[in-house]
Amino acid sequence: MFLKLTWIEIQKIAAKPRSYIGMIVITVIVLVILLAMKADGTSYIKFVTQSVEQSFLVEGKILNGYLVCFIILQTLIIQIPLLVALITGDAISGEAGAGTLRFLLTKPVSRGSIIMSKYCAGSLYTLGLVIWLGILALGGGLLLFGPGDLVVIKSEEIIILQSSDVFWRFMLAIALAFLALSLVGALSMLLSCFTDNSIGPIIITMAIIILFTIIGTLDVPIFDHVKPFLFTTHMIVWRSLFERPLPMHDIMCSIWILLGHTIVFLAIALIYFRKKDILS
Amino acid sequence: MKKIASLILILISFFHSSDSNAQDAREFVERIAKKFRLVHDYQADATIRIDIPFIKMMPVHATVYFQQPDLLKVKSKGIAILPKQGFDQMLHLLADTLNYSAMLQSTQKENGKLQTIVNLIPISDSSDLILAKLWIDQDAQLLTKAQLTTKTNGTIVSEYRYGAQSKYALPDSIIFTIDTRKFKIPKAVSADINTNSDRTPEGDKEKKKGKITVRIEHYVLNKGIPAEIFKGKNKENEE
Repeated sequence: MFLKLTWIEIQKIAAKPRSYIGMIVITVIVLVILLAMKADGTSYIKFVTQSVEQSFLVEGKILNGYLVCFIILQTLIIQIPLLVALITGDAISGEAGAGTLRFLLTKPVSRGSIIMSKYCAGSLYTLGLVIWLGILALGGGLLLFGPGDLVVIKSEEIIILQSSDVFWRFMLAIALAFLALSLVGALSMLLSCFTDNSIGPIIITMAIIILFTIIGTLDVPIFDHVKPFLFTTHMIVWRSLFERPLPMHDIMCSIWILLGHTIVFLAIALIYFRKKDILS
Repeated sequence: MKKIASLILILISFFHSSDSNAQDAREFVERIAKKFRLVHDYQADATIRIDIPFIKMMPVHATVYFQQPDLLKVKSKGIAILPKQGFDQMLHLLADTLNYSAMLQSTQKENGKLQTIVNLIPISDSSDLILAKLWIDQDAQLLTKAQLTTKTNGTIVSEYRYGAQSKYALPDSIIFTIDTRKFKIPKAVSADINTNSDRTPEGDKEKKKGKITVRIEHYVLNKGIPAEIFKGKNKENEE
């Protein structure tokens, strides 16, 4: 029954035109970045590496498919949660607004199953989005620029990973990005339970993410103690996969925090939705 | 009259000794350059190990190509990092010894070997090199250490270890020790969000040293190198 419900939810997502906005936006952004890097990527790389090249002679192909894919992934950090929230934030409130939620609850299925099937369908959509991003960014990057050693430029250090040591990191990064976006799905679904219009949960989800990201980005000492408690800090755990040595403890810690947040958001959504008076 | 004659003698002996000092110093350098000129070209395998505080990378394998007087090319499958000054600065010095004034500084014993320290000062004002201090093993007639002070990159110390190719003054390994500046780019550029910066004031920070070790083996000497190898020359040579 649960699988059937999930399948119905997937069909509902597929029937909504807004579900394709995410795919189109990702395609356009990735293509624009790929073409821009092809046209003038060398100047960009020179700008970023100029302080290193003052003292060192850097031999080899810095601008390659892996670097372009890495740049695309970190550029889309802020945008992708919005694309996920567009779908998951609409899951309950959209139906409540359209008046179909009451009809749905007359079926012999538990409210818990409804929430979980909607979440699973939303997660499958997220997975599709992330895989599409991976195929476009990595496939397009490798096709246009070819493989090479990956230069990870952080604000205070440079990590150079050998070409043969990079592909698996991207695969795991995509898996971790999916985990982080599933949290966004759970948060927007929780917010979706509280309202009858879908705009509210989408905007509030994005507002929370933007606020937390700004706090995380501001280099003010007072925020240093707050940052570990913000889920946005752990949403970029995929970047840790491109470090040497691999900070396994930090990665595992972030994975548990992401999972914990997802479970808590879903649990609150379940508890609230079970007791909710459906008036529309 | 006697006093004037003795003063003239002192002055003559002083100028003569400083002149012979410069002559000796140039001879020491020239002997090494002569050895090195026996090699018209070479190709060798190099392993580059980086130990610089802000750069994390695995050792890189590369091929080094050299052709007299100072054509150098390092080719690697991946990304290789070398000190901008230092790696081929010695080649330029040895290729054109007349562009530098040489002075003997002192002699000292290091690891049981007598080392002569020679200072080279460029004649041209526009040279990036300010001073080159060379440690020369008198018996083996080999350069064992060089300290290059440049306008743009501070001081670079390179230590040379020799093996089978010592008769051509070609080292088996070179260890570069360099002053490293703190690497910092804006977080917006690196997209390095949600991380805490190192907030130690610049003045409180220990000046950090970085090391680059280049192990060179499998020398192929005087077999000729196609000209196209040097066409995409390393940036240092282009400047």
